[in-house]
This record gives sequence, structure tokens and C-alpha cells, in this order.
Amino acid sequence: MKLDYSVIMPFMPVFLEGAWMTVKLSVLSLALGLVLGIIGGLCKTSAIWPLRAVANLYTWIFRGTPLLVQLFILYFGLPQLGITMGPFQAGVLGMALNTGAYVTEIVRSGLTAVDRGQSEAASALGMSRSVALFRVIGPQAIKVIIPPLVNQFIMTIKNSSMVSLVTITELFRTGESVIVSTFRSFEVYTVIAIMYLIMTSLLMIVAKQLEKGMSAHDRA
Amino acid sequence: MIELNQVNKSYGKHQVLFDINLTIAKREKVVILGPSGSGKSTVLRCINGLETIQSGDIRYEGASVLGDKAMRKLRLEVGMVFQRFHLFPHRTALENVMEGPIWVKGMKKHEAKELATDLLAKVGLSGKEDSYPGKLSGGQQQRVAIARSLAMQPKAILFDEPTSALDPELVGEVLSVMKEVAAEGMSMVVVTHEIGFAREVADRIVFMDQGKVIETGTPDEILDRPQHVRTQSFLSRILK
Repeated sequence: MKLDYSVIMPFMPVFLEGAWMTVKLSVLSLALGLVLGIIGGLCKTSAIWPLRAVANLYTWIFRGTPLLVQLFILYFGLPQLGITMGPFQAGVLGMALNTGAYVTEIVRSGLTAVDRGQSEAASALGMSRSVALFRVIGPQAIKVIIPPLVNQFIMTIKNSSMVSLVTITELFRTGESVIVSTFRSFEVYTVIAIMYLIMTSLLMIVAKQLEKGMSAHDRA
Repeated sequence: MIELNQVNKSYGKHQVLFDINLTIAKREKVVILGPSGSGKSTVLRCINGLETIQSGDIRYEGASVLGDKAMRKLRLEVGMVFQRFHLFPHRTALENVMEGPIWVKGMKKHEAKELATDLLAKVGLSGKEDSYPGKLSGGQQQRVAIARSLAMQPKAILFDEPTSALDPELVGEVLSVMKEVAAEGMSMVVVTHEIGFAREVADRIVFMDQGKVIETGTPDEILDRPQHVRTQSFLSRILK
């Protein structure tokens, strides 16, 4: 069978709709995951041990189990306990919790990478912990955090293909419906791959600009 | 002004300070001498709470700083200069000096800028306002650190081996700024190996060894007529 992309061209709107769903899923779960990760990272570096314990438990569970299993527990498992979510909510929540666990570790390692002398200097100036975090530690940690964070975001975008299994019609899942009517697996999945590549590439470009802007301050 | 009573400090099972008693009066300059590992830096770090103590008491203007509130007051009023400067690398020299007044004292930005500009001039760094710490020499960085500390208008400054990380030719410029600060009546506690500075500036020298205060006295007493054999052997080594 010869390759023929023209057969699937009429289905472009279907792919784009799926891609748009993937974008929505990813952006929402990245935003939520980032918030969770920042909170988690602060908890992990906190002097208050119950906060550290909760954060450790969180990353232990969500980094130690497959995303797919987490999604299935949320979507198929929780209704048994009377907690029912739509597929979109379950998908976003699952991806956010999973991403948040990884971001927690990234934030923690970024914060601990800042020289101890910096927080000592801040304390000696009379800064509270929150002012020191905001003015001294945070700005220096961000530089360490950005590259692994971008990596994690790319992982999340790609992992979003898994939410197709909790019945969300995102980019990956549109493939199936197009194949049913065209029988063009190769063409369909290469088009889908290219669309993922476009999304992750856009993220990488944004990240590059961000890093460039950051190093402009870094004249040390 | 600052008072240490029977202070003991250990890291796990390893005790580093033994029953330290020390009083620093207002406007007094106290220099702490001693071999490395004698606990002199630890004494400074205990005073402003960078290290916790196991027993004893530290008082600032009569109140124990083992409580949070009194420690806050102490940190507002007692500055610290570190061996390795610890300037904020992501901020210019001027911003380093402005940071405390703005974010701790709530000073207006233009006032802080004026203050910081004056202080940088005072430590001989006019023209370096917009330089980042990484572009400054060690001596210049330490002078910015002194200006940063002065910007909080402290009643006392703790100096933790301020010249030990500097190339020899840069030590002089930092010491002369410190002498100027001393001459203005600042209370100072200085951990250093600079005997010349101690002799010239100190009201009192405290000699420490192995976590204990061995003897205390005026520069003449300690440097010229040391009573204790450990002080004598330390001085003979360092003055050689």
C-alpha cells in the first residue's frame, strides 16, 4: 500500500479539535501542577516536620505509581466511593497531581541548590523567611529550576495522550476515529506525532527565550 | 549590650563551645583571636541565632534572645559581615545595600537609594553602584557587604573573619573601612587573625582555644604579656 496523506486531509478539523483538547488539558494541568509543585517544594524545605512528611508522602505515591493507574483510580475507582468526576476533570486532576509531584522535587532541589550563605545573609539582615524566599532565595533558585521544569512540562504534554483511556477525545484518540474510516494508520499517527512535536517545540522556544532573559540578569 | 552566659554548643556529640561567658558593652570593640577550630566563629553565629545553643543564655539589651521576638530585635540592630561576603549575586552593589532598608525596614525606594549611594561612597566604591558582585574584587565585595550591614543603621556589627578570604593585597582596604566604622563609635565583635588590627582597634581581646575562652584582656595584656601558655604559643606561631 502506498502512502497517501491526501486521504486523511479532510479529517484535519478532527485532528485540530483533538489537538485543542490536548492543549487545554495540558495547560490546565501544567498550571495546577506548577502551583502544587511550588507548595510541595516549599513544604519539603520547611522547618516544620508535618509539612515535610505530607510532601514526602505525596511525592512518594505520585512518582512511584504509573500515571495511567492514577487516572484509572480517579475516573473508574472513585465512583465506587461515591466520588464521580467527568472525564475532563479526572484527566486534569490526575495529570496535575502527577506533574505536581515531579515539580515538587524540581523546586526542592532548586531551593536547596542556593548557597546556604544566602539565607544566612538574609537572616542576618533581619529578613523574615518569606521575604528571604521572595527576594533572595527564589530569584536564584529559578535559574536552576527552569531547565528541568521545561523538561517536565514536555513530559506532561506527551503524557496527556494517556487520558484518552479515560474516554477523553484528545489528539491521540482522534487517530482511532480517523483510522476507522480511512484505514491509514501510518499517515494518521505520523500526523499526530507532528502535531505533538509542534506543541512541544513551541514550549521549548518559549523556554529558550525565558532562559535568555534570565541570564541577562546574571552578570556574575 | 550583648551578654553570653555559660553558653554550650554542640553538633551532635561533638561539643564545640564550653561555658562561654562574654559581655560586649555599648561602643566596645572586642576582637576574638584563636587558632582555627577554636569556636570563635561559632560564638558570633550563636549571638545572632545562625546556630542554636544547647544550654546557657544570650541576652541583648537585657532580654534573652532565645525567644523569637528578642532575636528579631537583635537581628534588626546587630549586623553581620561574613568571611565569604554572601552578597546577593543577582543584585547590583547598590541594590545589595538597598535591600535591607526597603524590605526589612520599609524605607521608601528613593530614600534607600540615597542612603545606599552615600554608604558606597563611604566605603570607597563610588562608581561601582551598578556593578554586580561577580564583577567586583573580593575586597570590593567585602566593602559592599559592610555597606549593606551599615544600611540597617545597626548598633553593633559582628565581623566573621572578614579578611580571611581575601588576597593579601586586598586586606588593607577592608581593614581601613573597618577602622573608620570603629572610629565612629560602632560596637564591634571581630573574629580575625589580623593582630595589627586587634592591637590598634580592640578595647579588649578574647583568646579562645578548643571551644573555651582562655583569657581576656586589653591588647597590651594579651599580645605583650599573655598569661596562658596556649595564648603564648598561638601568638608566637602567628607573629613569626
